[in-house]
Amino acid sequence: MDEESRGGGVKSLLPVLTVVGAILLFWVVSVVPMNMHLTADLAQRQDIAVTPDTPAARQDYSGIGLALRNTHLFGMTYTLDRPRLPSPHQVAVEMWDTIVMKNVTSRRSLVYHGWVTLSATLLGFAIGTGLGILLAVGIVYNRAMDMSVMPWAIASQTIPILALAPMIIVMLGSIGIQGLFPKAVISAYLSFFPVVVGMVKGLRSPDAMQLDLLRTYYASSAQGFWKLRLPASVPYLFASLKIGISASLVGAIVAELPTGARAGFGARMLVGDQYGQPMVTWAALFAAALTAATLVGFFSVMERWTLRRMGMQAT
Amino acid sequence: MTGTAIISALAVWGAGWFVNARLANSAAAQSRLVKLLVPAIFGLTLLIMWELLVRLLEVSPIILPPPTMIASRFSSELPTLWADFEQTIIKGAMTGYIVGMIAAFAVAILADRSEFLTKGILPVGGFMAALPIVGTAPIFVRWLGSDWQSKAAVVAVMVFFPILVNTVAGLRDTTAMQRDLMRTYGAGYWPTLFKLRLPAAMPFIFNGLKIATTLALIGAIVAEFFGSPTVGMGFRISTSVGQLALDMVWAEIVVAALAGSAFYGLMAWIEGRVTFWHPSQRK
Amino acid sequence: MKKLMMAAAFAAGFGGMAHADAHANDVTLQLQWVTQSQFAGYYVALDQGFYEEEGLNVTILSGGPDIAPPQVLAGGGADVMLNWMPSALAAREKGLPVVNIAQPFKTSGLMLTCWKDTGIENVEDFRGKTIGVWFFGNEYPFLSWMSQAGIPTDGSDDGVTVLKQGFNVDPLLNREADCISTMTYNEYGQVLDAGVSEDELVTFKYEDQGVATLEDGIYALEENLEDPVFVDKMVRFVRASMKGWKWAEENPVEAAGIVLDNDETGAQGEAAQIRMMGEIAKLTAGSNGSLDPADFQRTVDTLLAGGSDPVISAQPEGAWTSVITDAALN
Repeated sequence: MDEESRGGGVKSLLPVLTVVGAILLFWVVSVVPMNMHLTADLAQRQDIAVTPDTPAARQDYSGIGLALRNTHLFGMTYTLDRPRLPSPHQVAVEMWDTIVMKNVTSRRSLVYHGWVTLSATLLGFAIGTGLGILLAVGIVYNRAMDMSVMPWAIASQTIPILALAPMIIVMLGSIGIQGLFPKAVISAYLSFFPVVVGMVKGLRSPDAMQLDLLRTYYASSAQGFWKLRLPASVPYLFASLKIGISASLVGAIVAELPTGARAGFGARMLVGDQYGQPMVTWAALFAAALTAATLVGFFSVMERWTLRRMGMQAT
Repeated sequence: MTGTAIISALAVWGAGWFVNARLANSAAAQSRLVKLLVPAIFGLTLLIMWELLVRLLEVSPIILPPPTMIASRFSSELPTLWADFEQTIIKGAMTGYIVGMIAAFAVAILADRSEFLTKGILPVGGFMAALPIVGTAPIFVRWLGSDWQSKAAVVAVMVFFPILVNTVAGLRDTTAMQRDLMRTYGAGYWPTLFKLRLPAAMPFIFNGLKIATTLALIGAIVAEFFGSPTVGMGFRISTSVGQLALDMVWAEIVVAALAGSAFYGLMAWIEGRVTFWHPSQRK
Repeated sequence: MKKLMMAAAFAAGFGGMAHADAHANDVTLQLQWVTQSQFAGYYVALDQGFYEEEGLNVTILSGGPDIAPPQVLAGGGADVMLNWMPSALAAREKGLPVVNIAQPFKTSGLMLTCWKDTGIENVEDFRGKTIGVWFFGNEYPFLSWMSQAGIPTDGSDDGVTVLKQGFNVDPLLNREADCISTMTYNEYGQVLDAGVSEDELVTFKYEDQGVATLEDGIYALEENLEDPVFVDKMVRFVRASMKGWKWAEENPVEAAGIVLDNDETGAQGEAAQIRMMGEIAKLTAGSNGSLDPADFQRTVDTLLAGGSDPVISAQPEGAWTSVITDAALN
């Protein structure tokens, strides 16, 4: 997902648009069978003829089967208030309404909620990356750490964060830390591991010849680190950063649940789901994915710029 | 009391570290036994510190129970834990993993035949991977019901992109000379695929499969928070938090950690057998 | 040096006083769920200055999925919490001594909502059906009820299949469940909002079935109640909160507006909150905040009658106190 699909510019725009177009087409077509049962129930209450005419009998039909028997209801499937699958234009309208048409500081603005989630994400990412790099350096330079920490770091990723999150929040709350920091801690928990793995690989990537060369220069361990290992690890670092920022965003959203679902994308998704407003949920979902894609794209650009400056990549 | 607690915890940490440092730097450092012993001692040290701190600082068991309490709950609730494991891991996570894996392979091969498709699918796949599970899980539960099928769907969506990206990268990883050789043998697309490119792609594919194992586990468990039958690891964790049975929550976490590590280890073992020729497998 | 030390002493003194002041006047309340009209009384008291009049500085923490108020109380993240009585009594048995200091909700709003065309007319018809239950503290009344009716909840043909309901009414709408748990003030209205008409549904109120348990009550930790400064703080808090509740009962539309102002997600709808406030007013009517011992005993009896899997195993001692409400309401 790096240079080839991003750096091509116009060249890669057409394929992306084609695939996106195909998916949109599939989405638009699927709206009909997905919403048909609900639409049939609604139509029946409005005294429109539906085949078959009782909800119990309709249970035996699939969405597609029901759709083929009730083609006059197709239009209604696109305008439901609580659809099972909203149509693309419904999601787009909701997103437009809450991103562009609302004051950015208002609680009804998706931009405001995006900032709440993003602030926890960025802080968590900073903590996770810092911790990850420190751990990686420790693992590479200290054999006891290498042998003891790595298996547990892997095991730590198998622990479901949603189970640990309330405990972390309550424990931090009991020593008076509430608000942004606990969310950042959970975010950091999810992002430190890719950074550790990537940096360890990167710090170990210089080959024997390069290490020998430094020895001939009588370079100390510290000089070897700053002048060889660290620069060599930069490509691996960026790969890990891209995974890490995505994981941080997921962590920040997950962390919004045990902190009272007050604000942020996760809170919007939850409250929208709970109070029968699926459009709110879908808009927040897409906004979160777009934010993640933008952050990853930002790191891709940073990667190209940095590697070019370091001379590790031809222009 | 706090002072005693902290000092004893640090003492345990120091002792454990000392033993590990001696072992790691000893002559026997490369042996199988020491490789297993060092992380085990590290884990044991953490557990002893945990027990000491919780008991000496008198932390309430409904905030953080001590490891001994968790262990006794684990052993007394084995049937329940097994039923939860079956529902979440075997029915939910494994099914989703296999479905996602097959879909990713199919799309990767499709994309491989066309550069155009590759350029289009990868960014879109990345966008799909960025959809947060807190949003997708309730939607899948609404579409597929509360049973394991919706959890499998969530897992399939989560593992699709990592496996796809790695497979595509792997299929590209043959040199021009190798591909020319196949052409001199008169091999068409499919024989080349099966005899050269897929085997060469295995290291990358397994990288993706290993990443996907932890994602599958987490996906299945988190999805159960949004609707499930009355069995399953996610169900047990959320209801136990509500009932303040924190020891049961941790028992389930232990099951998750064991299952996840075992699954990852299984993939790593298969990788060792299939990609025995790769430099990273050299001892 | 002498000036520095005097300044330090002053600072310590003031700091100490400030700390003591906070201890006597700061209250943190942990709600049971996200901001909604179910908690209107407290938001009204905050907005209308009732807490301020009592000299209190109140912080309201919203709840949500994954937050167990007893846990927050145990961790010291809050001074008081809202909880349903079954959950609080179970917490007591688990070793957390929470005590009911006030009971603003007199009656229960919990009910099962079923499709009429499933043929369900009374409790016995539940056999062989699928029923949605929330868990996280709400399962206790349901399990007690099924136990008293002799209906197993293991999914057998003779019993009911229990589904852990998510946080919405979809299991009913897409017919995955024959019945779902609803609150009169929230989910029932949402089912109607989805276009279902009342005569397509049949409902079972726990109050009518004689298995209702007390709902939103105010709880604090037993050890805190031994501190006279804390007790005084609670008296003022309860007094102002009940004033807020009575104001909300009389001004439902304005109360809903106050709740909406405090909703940080911006996703709550006005109509739903006004309807919720109207229904909540029916539950708080008849209570001046003090817990009626007869109501308490009725809840305990319902829970103890839980048969093979009782929620609590013995009559609770010291689970409630009238000390706060006696002082607050006089």
